[in-house]
Parts: sequence; C-alpha cells; structure tokens
Amino acid sequence: MTITSLTFIAFIVIVFVLYYLAPKKLQWVILLCASIFFYSFCGIKNTLYVLITASTVYVATLWLHRLAARRDNELRVQKDILTKQEKNLKKAAYQRRRKAILVGTIIINIGLLCVFKYSHFAMEQLNGILRFLGSGQQIRDTWNLIAPLGISFYTFQSVGYLADVYWEHYEPERNYFKTLLFVSFFPQMTQGPISEHEALSKELFKEHALCYKNFSWGFQRMVWGFTKKLLIADVLADAVKNLFTGYAGYTGVSTMIGAFCYSIQIYADFSGYMDIMCGYCEMLGICLTENFERPYFSKSVEEYWRRWHISLGAWFKKYVYYPIGMTNWSRKLAKSVKNRCGKYLANTIPATIALLVTWLATGLWHGANWAYIVWGGVNGLFIILSLWLKPVYAKTKSMLRINESLWIWRASQTIRTFVLVTFIKVLPEVGSLSDGLGLWKHIFTEHTMPGSLNALLPFVDLSITTKQIAFGLCILFTIILFVVSLIERKAPARYYFNKLPAPLRIMLLVFTVFLLSSFGVLSSWGKEAFMYANF
Amino acid sequence: MEELLEILNEINPDIDYKKENNLIDGKLLDSLSILTLITEICDTFDIEIGPKWMRNENFNSIGAMWKMIESIQNE
Repeated sequence: MTITSLTFIAFIVIVFVLYYLAPKKLQWVILLCASIFFYSFCGIKNTLYVLITASTVYVATLWLHRLAARRDNELRVQKDILTKQEKNLKKAAYQRRRKAILVGTIIINIGLLCVFKYSHFAMEQLNGILRFLGSGQQIRDTWNLIAPLGISFYTFQSVGYLADVYWEHYEPERNYFKTLLFVSFFPQMTQGPISEHEALSKELFKEHALCYKNFSWGFQRMVWGFTKKLLIADVLADAVKNLFTGYAGYTGVSTMIGAFCYSIQIYADFSGYMDIMCGYCEMLGICLTENFERPYFSKSVEEYWRRWHISLGAWFKKYVYYPIGMTNWSRKLAKSVKNRCGKYLANTIPATIALLVTWLATGLWHGANWAYIVWGGVNGLFIILSLWLKPVYAKTKSMLRINESLWIWRASQTIRTFVLVTFIKVLPEVGSLSDGLGLWKHIFTEHTMPGSLNALLPFVDLSITTKQIAFGLCILFTIILFVVSLIERKAPARYYFNKLPAPLRIMLLVFTVFLLSSFGVLSSWGKEAFMYANF
Repeated sequence: MEELLEILNEINPDIDYKKENNLIDGKLLDSLSILTLITEICDTFDIEIGPKWMRNENFNSIGAMWKMIESIQNE
C-alpha cells in the first residue's frame, strides 16, 4: 500500500471516520488496529518483526524500571545502616544487571536490523577478504533477506525509548498495547519521524475532539505534501534516473543541473511525505515531531543537518554523539590534551572522535554499502573541518571586515551550502562509490557547452506532450516551493494562506487537487515509491 | 555557582547566564559547547555526569545546572 495510492487514501479516510466515531478513550485502539492492519497489508511478516521489537522493549523497560525501584527502595530502607561505599556497591550491582538487560535487548533489536540490512554487505566484504587472501572459497549469500518495512525507523525509535528508561528519564509504559502502538504507529512507521516516547505518547493517548482548525490546516498540509511528491518529486524522478544511468554521455553542465534536480527531488519527496503524514496526524489532533526546517536555506553543512531529517540527527546526537563524548576515556583524553596542548585542542579532539563515529554510523544507517559510509564520512569531515577552522574563519572575517548581516554574504553562504550538500548527496545515489566519484569527476572535467535546451537537459524527456506539461508544472511548483520556504522564515505558510478569503482558498485547494488527480495520475500517480522508505 | 558562571562565560561570553532560562531549547549552546561544558564541570567539581543527566531541563539555565551538580554530589 504505497502512500500515494488510492487504496491508502481510502484507508486513511476510513481510519479518520472511525477515529472520531469511536469513544474518545478508545481512539488510540483505533490507531493501533489501523497500524497493525497497515503493516499486515504490506506483508504479514512485517507485523511479526514489529511484535518482536515491541515485546522485547516492553519487557525490558518494565524490568529496568522494576530493578531501579527495588534499588531505590533498598537504599531508602537501609539509609542509616549502609556506609557510602556499601551504597555505591549496591548501586553498581544493580547497574550491572540493568546494563545487561539494556545490552541484551539492544543486541536482539539492532541484531535483527543488522541481519536484514547488513548481512549481504558483510558477506560481500568477507568474500572480498577471502579473494584478497587468495582463497578459492566464497561464502554464498543464500538468505535473500528483504528488510521489513520501516525497520530502521521503528528499531531506532524503540532503542531510544529503551535507553531513556535505562537512564531513568521517565517511567515505562505499563500497557503492552500502548507500547505496541508507540512502536508501530503507521503514519511514521515507514519514514519517521523518529519520535521520543515522552512526546509521542502524550499525543497518542490523550483524547481528541474533532476541531475545524486542525481539520482544515491538516488537510491543507496534506495537499501540499501530495503536491510536492506528485508534481515535483515524481516528475523529476525519471530525469534523475536518466542522469544517474547515463551521465557519461552528458555535458558537465547538464550533469550538474541534474544533480541539483536530484536535490530538489529528494527534498520534495521526503518533506512531501512528512507534510502528508504530519497533516493527517494534525487532522487527528496529533502533533508529530517536525523533520524539516527549510534545510536548503542553511548557511553551513552543520546547520543543514540540524534542519534536514531533524529527528534522525537528534537521535544520533542523544544516543551516539553525547554518550561517546562523555565516556571516561574521552574525558581522560581531554584532560591529557589540555595539560599538553591547551584548552582548544582538549575540547576539539574528543568532539572530533565523537563526530566521526556518529557520521560513519549515520552513513551506515542510510545504506549498507561503501558509498553511504563514505557519504557519512564526507558529511562528518565538513562538520569537523568547520569546527577546527572556526578560529581561522573568525580571524579572516575580522581581517577582511566582512559584515555578516549583509544579505549578499548570507545568500552566498546559503548557495555554497546548497551546492556542497548536493555534491555530497549524489555520491551514494548513482549506484556504487566508483560511479558516484565518476559523476563528480565528470562534472569538473567535461567542459562542452550545450547548444540547446535539449542538449542542456538531455535527461529530461520533452518529446511527449503530457510529460512536457508535467515538467512545466514541476518547474512552477518548484518555484512555489522556493517562495513558500522564503515565506516560512517568519511563520508557517498556512498562516498566510488562511488569511486569504475563503472562496479563494477553496478555489486554490480544489485547483491543486484537480492538478494532482489529473497530472499526478498521468505522470506517475503511485508509481514512484518514497525514497526514504528504502532506508 | 561563581565557578560555574566562569566556565559558562569562557564557552560563550555573549550570553547573560543569570537571566537566560532557555540555553538548550533556545539553541544558544551547540553540541560542542555542551560537551565542553560537561568536561569542564566534571573536572572542576570532581563529579561524573552520565547520559542519565543529559536532559535539556538540566542544562537550560545556570540554576538548573547547579541543581544537577548538587544532586550528583549528594548521590
């Protein structure tokens, strides 16, 4: 059931009706049934893996909490009997047991993710090593595993919840079915956002009354999401596919334009999905974590990653970057560097190590191949470089007396960042690492100037009338997307949209829905899967 | 408290820490500043700040940080 299919639209309409017809106390049960149905509809095996994750996390979180409560109780009762050392020993003993539960549950869940996502890649590497050693033996990958839908997203969300309970940030959910809904909530199951339990459970389990503002604002956002997906991303999909398969035959300029098309496509695709799902949840009265904050207006790669796929960045920061940066060895390293080389390096070196690990892991999360690992490494490298060169930048700017508030300076930073992230983005998308590097090389070494529009955009099929119109609409809506992003510097575009007279608003919405259902259907309705569902 | 204020001023002297209550949620301190802050606090007050304490509300103001330091010392 793809999100842009008519089946899915019928499904969400039915869920919406049942949700508001049901007694408010049972609204979450409707969502749970809908989520299990959605998952089972996409393949009954998917449900099994979600159940494994939900069950292991449910048992582990309750167990962790029970041990912490028992520890606190014993310490309270024996407060006057135990010495400080005995108290610490008791705490450590409990902590060891709790850590074993945490690690065991993480191994089960991340292990499942690794088996599905990384076993083929691991076998390839192993075979490569065997070949390198001259061994004639090769391991045959006979498993042919297909990763369950959204496993990367719900596994990370569940592991985050587990860690939060382990760190005693909040108490665990005692109702198994509520935990199951938290793990399997269908609007965010396939592409996120990766929510924290504390925030999502508050939204899922409170009672919601049908509200006109939520309904209209949510509907508008959904229409905008479908517009981005069907009239921008899906129209560009063919052109980008042509580029990635045949860039060797195009000029450098065309290849570069194609790379920018890919940047627009992936943003329209992923943020389109978020708009559809956040809009739908808004109609249900549920507020989901935002995943985008106009990322292409960022002024550095680091800022871009704070504004693109926000929930994934926040997850890695909380559960990988900080824990690495706060380990004893990291602090010891900082101390020893501080004594020898001063404060600046003492702060920078441990952060660099934590950043590098975090970014390589982010690359691996996106895909099991070297191109994604290098992609993560390159992103990390830019962020690390900006960290190390911060004093140099500051000095240079003051020497050159650059006024940072000038719009031209800010615009140049934004353009520079957009170009950089586009170049990094295409690296893993062409096919393999060598293909990606080949595309980079091609952009800089092929200098032929295209003589016509057809030569400039050879990857775009302009010969068929429907496609011509679809591509024209795609350009129009890309411009609208840019303008909307500019407007949203101050407030959500819907705030301004809802200030328009009602007849005009309705006319615009009806016109967009008409475009979606006519050109969307003609060009690619439901044909292109969402790109981030592959991760 | 003065020692803590000194650490914070060294990380970013442009913030009025006595008034600011939104250091993390308001994105006034970035992730590198937070790591630096934790290392400095651990060294100065001879405590260990584990991930357990990594919650925005523990770092949003100088008062919250001080309360966290006292809680760790009394643990």
